[in-house]
Amino acid sequence: MSFESMNRRTFLGATAATLALSAGLGAQSAERKTKHVVLIGFAGGVRTRETFGSPSNVPNLVSLAKEGVLYKRVKSSNLGHYGAALSLFTGVAEPRGIRENGRGEEPTLFEYARKGLGLAAKDVWIATSGGAQQTNYSYSTHADYGERYGANTVDGDGLFNAEFKSILETLGRPKKLDEREADLLAKMRAAIGGADPKAALNNAESAAQVERFILEELTGGTASLRGPNAADAKAIRVARNLLVLFKPRLVAIVLQSADIAHGNFNGYADVVRQNDAAIGDLMKAIRADPALRDSTAVIACPEFGRDRDLNSRRGLDHGDGSEDLEFVSAVAWGPEFARNRVIEDDVRAVDLCPTVCQLLGTTAPRAKAKALPRLYA
Amino acid sequence: MAPSSPWTSSAARDAQAPLDDGRTQASPARALDAATLRSVFCDLLGRPPFAAERERWLGQARHTLIDALLGTEPFWSQWLEEQLYYFFLIDNFRPESERVLAIPADLAAGKLDPREATHRIALSPSFDQRNPGADTFVTVVLEQFTGITVQKNVRELEVGKAIYDGAGGTFLGKLGKRQADIVDIAVHHKAFAETFVAREYERLLGEGAPAKERADWARRFHQTPRDYAALVREWMLSEAWDRRATRKRPVSNRLFARALYVDLLDRAPDEAEARRLRTALDGMSDAGPLRSVFARVLIDSGMVALPEKKSIRDPRAWIAQRFEALLGRTPSAQELDTFAAAFADEACRPATVLYALVTHAEYQLY
Repeated sequence: MSFESMNRRTFLGATAATLALSAGLGAQSAERKTKHVVLIGFAGGVRTRETFGSPSNVPNLVSLAKEGVLYKRVKSSNLGHYGAALSLFTGVAEPRGIRENGRGEEPTLFEYARKGLGLAAKDVWIATSGGAQQTNYSYSTHADYGERYGANTVDGDGLFNAEFKSILETLGRPKKLDEREADLLAKMRAAIGGADPKAALNNAESAAQVERFILEELTGGTASLRGPNAADAKAIRVARNLLVLFKPRLVAIVLQSADIAHGNFNGYADVVRQNDAAIGDLMKAIRADPALRDSTAVIACPEFGRDRDLNSRRGLDHGDGSEDLEFVSAVAWGPEFARNRVIEDDVRAVDLCPTVCQLLGTTAPRAKAKALPRLYA
Repeated sequence: MAPSSPWTSSAARDAQAPLDDGRTQASPARALDAATLRSVFCDLLGRPPFAAERERWLGQARHTLIDALLGTEPFWSQWLEEQLYYFFLIDNFRPESERVLAIPADLAAGKLDPREATHRIALSPSFDQRNPGADTFVTVVLEQFTGITVQKNVRELEVGKAIYDGAGGTFLGKLGKRQADIVDIAVHHKAFAETFVAREYERLLGEGAPAKERADWARRFHQTPRDYAALVREWMLSEAWDRRATRKRPVSNRLFARALYVDLLDRAPDEAEARRLRTALDGMSDAGPLRSVFARVLIDSGMVALPEKKSIRDPRAWIAQRFEALLGRTPSAQELDTFAAAFADEACRPATVLYALVTHAEYQLY
């Protein structure tokens, strides 16, 4: 492309990319302050009008923006909730069926992180709120990556609900095995030779940790959370508890309740407010933990927005191709990021994947995106 | 040629009519062993056999069992469950209307075919609530009914949205005027037959349908959807199914939830029990740890009829029976020796043997 053929936006974008690359390389070469990353897919379709366009809805996100970087124009793709949220994690915008229940072909940032940094399963988690479909975010079908590099996914609402808790209360807890019986059990299990062993997400040690976490969490208060954003609130609570307990390197949270907007605008706005409050609780836990407060980065971004105008049910769909739908706002907060910086230039939602990888000290070689510009101080 | 059955297609019945003079035809060497018996039940009814069924069918011809199960109300109930799951009409979106709940009985009675049953599902309030708004509704119908990628067929999406909102338009080649027309046009389009046959084959065989046969099956289904059970019969007696049985498939969370109750309690879970467990398992990318937790919870609940250890006079035989019932095979000599040696230790309970089997990776395959 010749200089003459560049329009202003292309030029600004190219310049920003160059600056970002320099900043990124500079940050990479130094000792990273960021040891943990929390990526919040503020999903379900959330417009800027109800977030940074209505600051009273999201005081906690506004507070993060003041202490961090606000990207006001993040280009998203209307690929359905599933495809659009998946693209945040893969750095590749590809159409996926709205109700498709299959894994993507492109590796996710969880796989990049686990493979590139040699992380264990307990170091990489996703807390979701949308049930079975969202467990597909964990890992891809890519031959070089896949399940052995996947993230442990916990759907807060699926697991920590009153109904499932009641089963365990009715049936009781598993009997604690004494050492001798546990040893015999291990011997018998080891003797069974019929299964075709394959690379699993968890090894025996991390599987045992997951078991303990589930049983502990079921006795906590997560299962009793109520309200229109209950599923999202549980996802955020699960992430908070994981973060405090395991100190993982990477935790993603995928929210979904805002999609109530199709038929209920006021309910949607309420979900946005309550999710912001839950993020406030998460931040409180991070700031209170000496092992997290100076080493954790938090990035939040919707997967896409919603239509400009209300539908006939006084709700908001997502399909009009408007700027409200296609541009959302993202916020980044962390020990290495600039403070109170507002970026007006266009960036892309898929840029989150290489950004997070860069922060953790690895790369996303198959992502069709680049790290967010002007992020670092 | 497979023997005639109610589920043999009309063409095949005609072809073999002259031979149908009462003689017993030679059947392929397809006597049901423990593994194939378990697989047939899981594929067609979504659960392993109960103890009495295992006793009844072991050693019988596979086609006899298939003919006994196909087209029954339990078969169609399982089919409906899988369709609802495919459309994510689960949990809060599970249809409760009488018309949807009547689908298995209506299919078993021949009052309905799978295409019309799908039509009925898509017209339920639950489907509408699950897919709110014109964009989502039309996108889902196009993607899930016809396999069309909307990003590559923007025109169909836009026309569909206009019809949804009450304006007329030509959608998939037919005139539509209202939301229900979108479903009606889509299910009667040949692309629906192609998509339906492809996903049903993959659901039952665990692999994609071969292109040539798929086109033929789709054509047959499009013309005579009532003969769907005959298609399933062909698939279940095919070499591809033999390969699938040898290869083994991962047990889905839906199947695990049902299998565990059948294997340990000799009863199917009720709808609420199955749903709660499946929903919890579906919430994890690696459901293995939770499956283990729940298996142990159930075994230790006091609900499993376990014999007193001292009453087991032949531990090797008892262990071998547990292998056959739970893993669908007899144990190897080494496995049997290890288990028998462990069982001889006073710290090992009958429950410990069950723990070992149902928490092992092999139990996650069928």
